[in-house]
Amino acid sequence: MTIFVATLVFLAVLITLLWLLFGSSTNEAVLSLDALQIEKILPVNCRHFPQISQLLSQEDTQFMRKRAPHHVANKWRAERRRILKQYLNGLRQDFARLERLARVIAALSPEIRKRQEWEWFWLALQFHFSYRMAALKLALGRFSPEALAGLTEMIAGLTSELENRMALIAEHSPSRMRTDVGG
Amino acid sequence: MDLSLVESVRWTATALTEVVVLALALRRKLFDRLPVFTIYLCILVANEAIIWLTYSLTGITSHTSFYVYWTMQAIQVSIRAIVVYEICQVLLSPYQGVWKLCRPFLILLAALVVAGATISTRQSAYHAAAAILTAERGLEITVIGILILGLMFCRYYGFQIERYVVWIALGLGFNSAVQVANNTFLKVGPTIADFPLWQIIRQTSFDIAMIFWVVALWKPLPARQPAPVLLAADEYDRLAPQMTLRLRELNTRLLEIWK
Repeated sequence: MTIFVATLVFLAVLITLLWLLFGSSTNEAVLSLDALQIEKILPVNCRHFPQISQLLSQEDTQFMRKRAPHHVANKWRAERRRILKQYLNGLRQDFARLERLARVIAALSPEIRKRQEWEWFWLALQFHFSYRMAALKLALGRFSPEALAGLTEMIAGLTSELENRMALIAEHSPSRMRTDVGG
Repeated sequence: MDLSLVESVRWTATALTEVVVLALALRRKLFDRLPVFTIYLCILVANEAIIWLTYSLTGITSHTSFYVYWTMQAIQVSIRAIVVYEICQVLLSPYQGVWKLCRPFLILLAALVVAGATISTRQSAYHAAAAILTAERGLEITVIGILILGLMFCRYYGFQIERYVVWIALGLGFNSAVQVANNTFLKVGPTIADFPLWQIIRQTSFDIAMIFWVVALWKPLPARQPAPVLLAADEYDRLAPQMTLRLRELNTRLLEIWK
């Protein structure tokens, strides 16, 4: 038993080491102010919410339920679910971008707080877990449009704040940061 | 000396490879970037000379040879631990905040593993071979632990690792992982340690590590990267609370959705 566990641990350590050294990073490395292009790390998908909101309108749902034949309504629901799934995935990407931005800010700060970093790490873990559960709920057809709207508003709000903040940083160091935020 | 022809050839090949790696390191001026690693390479070459002299003068089975061999092993493993700390420092210290955050974790991890190894070694102190294996395993775990923790920080914050550092780190990590596994197998029982495939892996792990180091140093080292330009000290304090608040709210909302 000990030998089996030791072998597994040995292989796990080797795989971890190879992954840490050679694994492609899911995030683009932008760890200098010169390379920091804000438009590439700020959330983008949440900006498409008006179109998604239209897709989720109650009138459409009621219309389809009352007027459309059963098989057409089913097809419509399936298509709507597919689009929502894509959108939820987009929101996850937005969150990942925000998370990335938080790490860039931390990496480029001369002083960071352990508690703060730990909290961001923990929040990210929570988010990814919650996202999986939300995706599952969507797959089961029990996802409320209002909840998705709320989620989108949150990310959009955060994006707006970050844009303003990053634009301020850029103003202080215009030659060190490329951005088209704010024109 | 009482070495067989095959053992003598292997030893000579290993010693020659060590000389080649050291020569490459000196040629590439590695001392300017990784001074402890360069010193470690010097110690490897010196170690071969010392062991060879000892074996020649006192015989391979003498007490002197035993103590000289294990003392040199202890020195090498200890310096390997310092080398991986140096690698972490090279990778993380340009980012002052992250380095200040990471360094205590590295030191704490090393202290815990060494303390654990010391306790385990004392428990098996009645048996010299077991004590040596335990102590060596503890030091090797320290090496691999520091390396993986430092690399995890690099990964988390998205720091680029230069090619030569990647290969040097891989060599150190691979060799330590094999030694830890080997010592564990030997402690549990010699069965698996006697498997031909494992014997090959164990005997060649250090040679493989040196090949990785040759790969690392074969090409000239890249030009030094300028230190990253850091944000003003108060930007983090201004941004962090806002981001935390929003991320917290976002999580709460998402939790409400799926619950």
